[in-house]
Amino acid sequence: MTTERTGWFGYRARLTLSCYALLAATLVLLAVFVYVPVVWAFSNSLYQFEVGGEAQFIGLRNYQEFLFEDAVTWPSFLNMALLTLIAVAARLTVPLIVARFICSLPHERGRYFYRLLFLIPIVVPGVAVQLIWGGLVYAERGLVNETLAAIGLADWARGWLSDPRTALVAVAFVGFPFVFGFEVLIYYAGLSNIPTSVNEAALLEGCTGIRKFFLIDVPMVMSQLKLILILTIIGGIQGFEGLIILTQGGPGFKTTVPGLWMYYNAFSFQRFGYACAIGVCLFVIIFGLTVLNLRYFRSTEELEGAR
Amino acid sequence: MSRTTRIWLHLALILFAVLTLVPFAFVINNSMRNNTEIYHSFFGLPEAFRGYSTAWFSRLRGDDAPVPVKLDDGEVRQAAPAEAMSIYKERAATGYRSAWRMIRPYMVNSLVVSLATAFGVLLLGSISAFVLSRYRFPGSKIVFFFVISTMMFPGVLTLVPSFLLVKQLGLLNTYWAMILPYVAGGQVFVIFILKSFFDGLPEDLFEAARIDGAGHFGQYRFIVLPLSKPIFSVVLVMNILGTWNNFLWPFVVTTDSSYHVVASGLYVLATSGNAQNIGTLFAAYVLSSVPLLVLFIYATRPFIQGLTSGAFKA
Amino acid sequence: MTVARIIGVLKAAALPVILLFGLWALWPASGDDVVTLGPRDYGPEVKYVLKVAPGPMYMPGVEPFGIGKPLRGLADVIRAFEARFPDTRVECITVPVMRREFLITQLSSGQAPDIINVNVEDVWMDIQKGWYVPLDHWLEQPNPFVVEKGDPTAPGAVQWWDMFEYQAISRGKAAPDNLNYCVSFDMIETGIYYNKDVFRKVGVDVPEDWEGFLEIMGKLRAAGYIPLLMIVGLFNDWATDLIFDQLYYEVLPGIDLVQDPTREGYLEGYLDWDEIAFLYEKGFFTPRDARYREVFRIMKDLRRYANKNLTGIDMLREFVTQQGAMLWHPCNIIYRLKADKSLGFEWGVFYLPELTKRTSKYASDTPMCVIGGSAVQFEVTNTAVGDTPASLPLGERMRRSTRLERVMALLQFLCVPENYERIVNEYEALIPNIRGVTPLPALRPFVEILQRRYTTTKWTFTFDLKFSEVQQRLLDLYLNDGATLDEFMELQNENLAYATKNAVLRKRLDLERLEGKWRELAPIRATMEDLPCDD
Repeated sequence: MTTERTGWFGYRARLTLSCYALLAATLVLLAVFVYVPVVWAFSNSLYQFEVGGEAQFIGLRNYQEFLFEDAVTWPSFLNMALLTLIAVAARLTVPLIVARFICSLPHERGRYFYRLLFLIPIVVPGVAVQLIWGGLVYAERGLVNETLAAIGLADWARGWLSDPRTALVAVAFVGFPFVFGFEVLIYYAGLSNIPTSVNEAALLEGCTGIRKFFLIDVPMVMSQLKLILILTIIGGIQGFEGLIILTQGGPGFKTTVPGLWMYYNAFSFQRFGYACAIGVCLFVIIFGLTVLNLRYFRSTEELEGAR
Repeated sequence: MSRTTRIWLHLALILFAVLTLVPFAFVINNSMRNNTEIYHSFFGLPEAFRGYSTAWFSRLRGDDAPVPVKLDDGEVRQAAPAEAMSIYKERAATGYRSAWRMIRPYMVNSLVVSLATAFGVLLLGSISAFVLSRYRFPGSKIVFFFVISTMMFPGVLTLVPSFLLVKQLGLLNTYWAMILPYVAGGQVFVIFILKSFFDGLPEDLFEAARIDGAGHFGQYRFIVLPLSKPIFSVVLVMNILGTWNNFLWPFVVTTDSSYHVVASGLYVLATSGNAQNIGTLFAAYVLSSVPLLVLFIYATRPFIQGLTSGAFKA
Repeated sequence: MTVARIIGVLKAAALPVILLFGLWALWPASGDDVVTLGPRDYGPEVKYVLKVAPGPMYMPGVEPFGIGKPLRGLADVIRAFEARFPDTRVECITVPVMRREFLITQLSSGQAPDIINVNVEDVWMDIQKGWYVPLDHWLEQPNPFVVEKGDPTAPGAVQWWDMFEYQAISRGKAAPDNLNYCVSFDMIETGIYYNKDVFRKVGVDVPEDWEGFLEIMGKLRAAGYIPLLMIVGLFNDWATDLIFDQLYYEVLPGIDLVQDPTREGYLEGYLDWDEIAFLYEKGFFTPRDARYREVFRIMKDLRRYANKNLTGIDMLREFVTQQGAMLWHPCNIIYRLKADKSLGFEWGVFYLPELTKRTSKYASDTPMCVIGGSAVQFEVTNTAVGDTPASLPLGERMRRSTRLERVMALLQFLCVPENYERIVNEYEALIPNIRGVTPLPALRPFVEILQRRYTTTKWTFTFDLKFSEVQQRLLDLYLNDGATLDEFMELQNENLAYATKNAVLRKRLDLERLEGKWRELAPIRATMEDLPCDD
C-alpha cells in the first residue's frame, strides 16, 4: 500500500470512505432501531403525553416536577445509590476472591472444574431466581427465618421484604453469595495473565497472602474491575425488573428506584412524558459517570505506559 | 502450597459452589414434584424418587409383594413393585410432559431468532469493532461514542417507539421484527468488548498483512478471525443467553402466536393456570435451558478461554 | 491427555445424535392442537378470524392442579360456535395483559385480541381513546341465541342484561362515562378458610363479631399458630372497602349525592368517584375525617394477627402445612384444597363478622357487605372494529363493522346457560353469574356470602391506577410499622388529592352539579356525629 494520489481521490479519503462503508450496516441499524426511538422518547419529555392520547407541550415542567416536587424522587435515588453500591461492592469482591482461590489451585484440572461449576447457574433464567428468593429465602417460614429460629433468635424473624427497615437490604442481598460465573472468569483471566516474573519477584520480597492480594493482584486486575464496575453501575441505574417481582418498590417507597418509578409512570400511570423525563435524567447520570470515568480513571495499560 | 491450605481452599470453593448452585438444584428438584409435595414440604426430595427407589430395592431383593404407592393426587394404594416403579416414573415425568407440550412449538422460533441474531451481531459487531480498533479516520471517535452511548439509554422508554417503528416498517409477525432490533441493540456490547480485544492485538501482525497486500477483508479474514475464535464464542454465548430470555418484545411484535419464542411460552406458562403447577413451571425452565446447556457443552472450552483471554476489561 | 481426547471424540460423536434428537423432538406432532385452539390453516370460506385472550381460568389446554385433565370447555363451545358460523374461526391465545406496556402497544395500534380479559380499571384509563367498545347497545337488546329457543320468558329474551345473576355487581363496573365496557360471566367471592382441627384443638369457634374475631386470633397466636394468613394486596383491596363500609354505612344518607335510577335498584347508595371527589373537597377522607382514620386503625389491629411477611403471592402454603389457622382468600382455590389428598385436616369457610360499637363508636352495626365481584372480565377491543377505517370516530366504526357483529355474537353465544355451564363448571373455582347455571356444590358457602349487600364503594381497582398502586405501598409501610397512623393519613391525603384532581381532569367530572343535593342533605348530616365538613 502506498499513499500516492490516484486521481482526485486521496488514499486517506478512500480509507475513510471504506471504513464508513464497513460501518454502514451497524450505523444504519443503530440509527433506525435505537436512535429514532430514543429521540422520539426524549422529545416526549417536554410534553404531557400518554400513548394514544393528545400531547401537550409543557416545556421543562416534567423535569421540574421530577427534580423538585415529586416526593418519590430523592428517596428513590438514595435507594438506587445504595443498591448500586452494594451491587458494586459484591461484584468487585466476592468473585475476585473466588477467582483468586481458583487461581491458587495447583492443578489445571481443578481450576477448570471450578470455573465450569460457577458457570452453570448462568442458564437459570432471572425470573426463576427471583421466585426462589421471594418464595424460599425470605418467605414467612423461609430459609432465613427458620435458621434464626433454629439458633434461638426467633424474635429476629420478620417479613424481610415487607419490613420497611429491612426491605432494601433484603433486595440487595438477592443473589448471595454473589459468585457470578461471568465475573469470576473475567477476574480469573486478569489474575492468570499476571506475568510469572511479577509473581516470582513478589515471592522473593516476601510479599504473600493478603498483602500480595492487595499489593499485586488487585492492581493487576484493575482494568477488569473497571469493566465490571461500569457494567454494574449501568445495570444498577437502569435495572428494575427484579423489583417488579420482589417488592414492586414497597413497602412505601422503600425499595423504589427511579427506573421502577419511570416504568410505573410510563405504563401504569399514563404519564409517558413524565417517564421520559425520568429516563433522560437517568441517561444524564450514566453519561456523566462515563465521562468522569474516562477522565479520571486510567486503566492499567495506561498506567504502565506512564511508568 | 501446603496440604492444609489446599484443603481449606477446596472447602471454601465448594461452600461457595454449593450456595451458588442451590437455586439451580432447587429448580431441578422441584421440577419433578407436584404442588402438594412442594406445599407440604418445601425442601424435600421428589416423592417419586423415594418411591421409585424403594420399589426398585424390593424388586432387587426378589420381593414381589405389593408396596404402597402414592399417586399424583396423594391417594395411596397397593401395587406390585414393577407397577409402582412405572407409576413413579410417570409422576416424575408429568411436569416435563406438560411443559414440553407448551413450549415445544416455540422452540424452533427461539432457535431461529437467537441463532440469526447471534450471527448478525457477531458479523456486524466484529467488522465494526475491527474498523474502529485498527483505523484512525475522521470521525472515528465520534462514531465509537455514537455506538457506545446506546448502552446508556433506558430500554423501557424505547419500547413504545420501537414498536411503532417496527409496525411502520411492516415487520410485525415476522422473524425480522425480533432479529433486526436485537442485532441493532446487541452489537453494541460486542463492539465494546471486541474493540478492546482487537486493541490488544499487536499492530505488527496487521502491518505485515498490509505489506502482503491484504485489504480490510484480508486482514479480517486471516488475522482477526483465527485469533478471535474464543472471544467470539463468549459474545456468541452471552448474546444467545440474552436473546433466549427476552419475553416481552416477542409478545409485543407478534400477534400471531406461531411466532412466539420459548421465553414468551414460559411467560404463558407462568401466568396461566399451569403456574399453579409449580413443578410444570420449573420443568419448563429446565427444558428451556437444555439448548443452552448443549451450547455450553460445546462452547465451554473456547468460552472459558475467551473470557480468560483478558479481553474483558475497560 | 488421553482422557481429554476420549471426551473430545465422544463430544464430536454426540453432536449429530443430539442434533437428530433435537430435530425429532421438535418435529411437530400431528393432532397436537385438539384442545388448545391455536392458529390453524383456514379455508377460503373463512372471512373472520377472531382472537380471544380468555385469561388463565378458562384457557383451553391449561391443566389446573388436581383436576387431572386439560381444560376444554371453552374450546368445545367455540367449536359449536364455529359450526354455526362457518365463515368464522376463533383462536384462543395467552397474552401478558398484566404488563401494561403490552396492552398499550397493542391497543394503540389496533392489534390486540378482539376479546381480552383485563381488570376493568385498566380499561377505564383508556376509554376516551376509543380502544374499547362500549357494550351497552348489545346488553340492552335481546340475546339472539336465547330468542331463537322460543321461550319469551327466558332471561335474555328481552334484554341481554337479564341473563346476569348478579346484575348489581356487573352494572357497578360501569365506567365513569356510565357505559359498560366489560361483561363478566362469573363471580369471585372471598371468605375466611379455617382449619377446623386447629380450631377444635385450641378450643375456639367461628366468631360472632369483630371483637370475637380478634379474641380467637389472640388464642390461636398463643397456641403457636399464625392466626390469619393474608397478603398486603388484600389489605389494600378488600380490607379497606369492608371496614370502610362498616363505618360509613350509617352516615350514607347524609353523603350519598347521586341516585342513578338505572343503577340505584342494584347499587343502593353506591359512592361513585365523582361523589368521592366531591366529598373529599368537603373534607371527607382527609386526616380530619375521624371515620376514615378509624378505618386504618382497625386495619392495623387486624394486621397484628397476620403473618409477618405480607409481600408473598399467596399464603396457601402456610395454610396447608397448618402453620396458619385461617386464610383470607377468594373462592378460586377450592379445587386445589379439594384435590389435596395429603391435607390431613378438615377445613371450612366463614365470612368476616361485623364490627360493633365495642370495637369502634362509628360502627354501623350492619352485617359485613360483599366485596368480591366480577372475576373474568371480558372486554371487546378496537380490533373488533378493525374492518373499518381507524380514522373514523368509534361510534361510526361500531355501526359499520361486520366483524364486531361476529365478536358480539361470540360473547352472546358463550353466555347461553348450556354453553356457559360447560366453561365455568369445569372445575371448582368461580361462581357463575349467568341465570340458569347452577354453581358447583363446593362453592356454596361463597354463593351465600354473595347474597349480601354490595359495598358502599370500592376504593381500589376501579378508578385510578396510581391511587391503587400508591395506597398499596403506603399500607405496606404503615402496617409494617414504617409509618405512624398520622404519617400514613398525611401521605394518603396526598394520594387522594392527586387521584381526585386527576379524576376531575381526565374524566371531566362535573362536581358543581352535586352542590344542590349536598345542601339538600344538610339537615340529615346535622344529626350525625363527627363529620369532617363544616356545615
